[in-house]
Amino acid sequence: MPEQRPTLRQWIGLTVTGLVLIGMLILPGYQSPYDLLTYTRFLVLALMAQGWNLIGGFTGYAAFGNVGFFGVGAYTTGLLMLSKWHVPFFPALFSGAVLAGLIAVLIGLPVLRLKGHYFAIATLGVAEAFRQIADTWDSVTQGSTGIDLPVRTDGEFFYYSALAFVVLGILVTIALKRSKIGYAWVAIRGDQEAAKMLGINTTAMKVLAFAFSAVFAAIAGGLTAYQNIHVTPGDFFQLEYTLQMIIATIIGGTGTILGPVLGAGVYQLLSTYVWTRFLELHPTVLGFIIIVFIIFLPRGLMPVLTGSIDVLRGRRRFRWQALLANVRAHRVT
Amino acid sequence: MEAAASNAPAEVLLQARAVTKRFGGVAALQGVDLDIRKGEILGVIGPNGAGKTTFVNCISGLDRPTSGTILFKGREITKMPSYAIGRLGLARTFQVVKPLRQLNVIDNVAIGAMFGAGGKRRTTGQARERAEQVLEQLGLKHRREHLAADLTLPDLKRLELAKALAMDPELLFLDEVMAGLNPTEVERAMQMIEAINRAGVTLFVIEHVMKAIMGISDRIVVLHFGKKIAEGDPGQVIENPQVIEAYLGERFAKRAKSALHKK
Repeated sequence: MPEQRPTLRQWIGLTVTGLVLIGMLILPGYQSPYDLLTYTRFLVLALMAQGWNLIGGFTGYAAFGNVGFFGVGAYTTGLLMLSKWHVPFFPALFSGAVLAGLIAVLIGLPVLRLKGHYFAIATLGVAEAFRQIADTWDSVTQGSTGIDLPVRTDGEFFYYSALAFVVLGILVTIALKRSKIGYAWVAIRGDQEAAKMLGINTTAMKVLAFAFSAVFAAIAGGLTAYQNIHVTPGDFFQLEYTLQMIIATIIGGTGTILGPVLGAGVYQLLSTYVWTRFLELHPTVLGFIIIVFIIFLPRGLMPVLTGSIDVLRGRRRFRWQALLANVRAHRVT
Repeated sequence: MEAAASNAPAEVLLQARAVTKRFGGVAALQGVDLDIRKGEILGVIGPNGAGKTTFVNCISGLDRPTSGTILFKGREITKMPSYAIGRLGLARTFQVVKPLRQLNVIDNVAIGAMFGAGGKRRTTGQARERAEQVLEQLGLKHRREHLAADLTLPDLKRLELAKALAMDPELLFLDEVMAGLNPTEVERAMQMIEAINRAGVTLFVIEHVMKAIMGISDRIVVLHFGKKIAEGDPGQVIENPQVIEAYLGERFAKRAKSALHKK
């Protein structure tokens, strides 16, 4: 039966994910508030990476401006909670997500006509424009002073909320990947002209991927805003967030379901470890590790994991050459 | 082929009128008129740069003609986007093959079945079933799990055909699917193309392999410097002095003629 192999893999994936989830559900009881904050950071990064994976991974468009939507989510959530209606947190958060999605559609329509580097640069510019707007629109955003959200210090609330969204994100990614939308995205990544000729409305599908990625980023932004209390343009529209979500996705495996979450975890672990060992050289060491990852595992950790399941079952032999083949495949000649 | 001959005058499936395409100062196509009749295999020949591929690009919506109109099943498609044309029932292959390299063969073909003319009524599961049928039909079944990136050229050409066929087109454009194949493979490709036609698909075939094109075509059109210089049944076209001068050459014309007689 040709379908047997993926099903077994899925079972293993499901079991491992389930165990990790149970572990994460009981985790707060055993952690200090500081450690819990680190875990929440990981989940928020996972959420952003899941979003980036839809446009950057499945569809193959290197978006460098997703932090813009992170900021839109943060500001919308904050401003709605502070408004005269005193919108509760979750409705405010969802409004921010919807608004970010709509903005992504409007921006995506012109910007997604660009290819490759041009698209990357354009999205970079868009994120910078958002920052400028937040910085100068004093009457609404209070400029560079920023806004202060209602205070909530209960760390478990943020942890569990983020965890719920990450699980939801996995389910949404699975549903999308199996639908015609998912097939359209990978077709666009493969060859856009071919995709068009195969009957795929490439513009609509790319805009949809971009909007979905914006929704994920905005939810991450809203959560972070509520937890951090203080929201300023400088803190929330940082290029570093975009880079983190891209790196997490690449480490985990672009275009895979669990890759972004796994990558976010590995990134957070590495970052925390390197931070404690090499305080001053932190960015350098981290950068070096990322380069090693990209050279030797350009497809990320997920293919390695699924591959090792095959090795353990004796379906495939372990070969060091596989790593070198990766290097060869991505070498510029 | 008998079908096309018996119900003449056949219905016109695609009608191109005065199609012109200029790239800068160069006219790749100059006022080409062409009818494709339902059920036929229309062969297109001409030297490199004659505008054959440009013509297909214009019809399939990848290029916009500078002027002229194109009707498919009586509907104007001149300014339609490619995907909409594809869903109407027009599919094509690319001369330089365009597989979705990171996907396996079955997924490549399933995507055609999902979004082509028959796509609306299919779920992803049904599209995969349709893809299995097409792979079976084209003899690609043993490659179903292979990544497209790992296929050999003959298999890539077949995959290109399979993707297009899975779209359930009424009209299929084949842009040099036989280039680079050895004689045995050409023979198999000819049989494959004739089988597709017998199943009811109208074909527009661009090919340089004279033996093949003369063997399978009901009619032949010759393009030269963006103009249609001849049109007719293969026997007539081969004897047309203009065609011999522009494309075939004396010796080649004789060879092509002998291929025709064998048929």
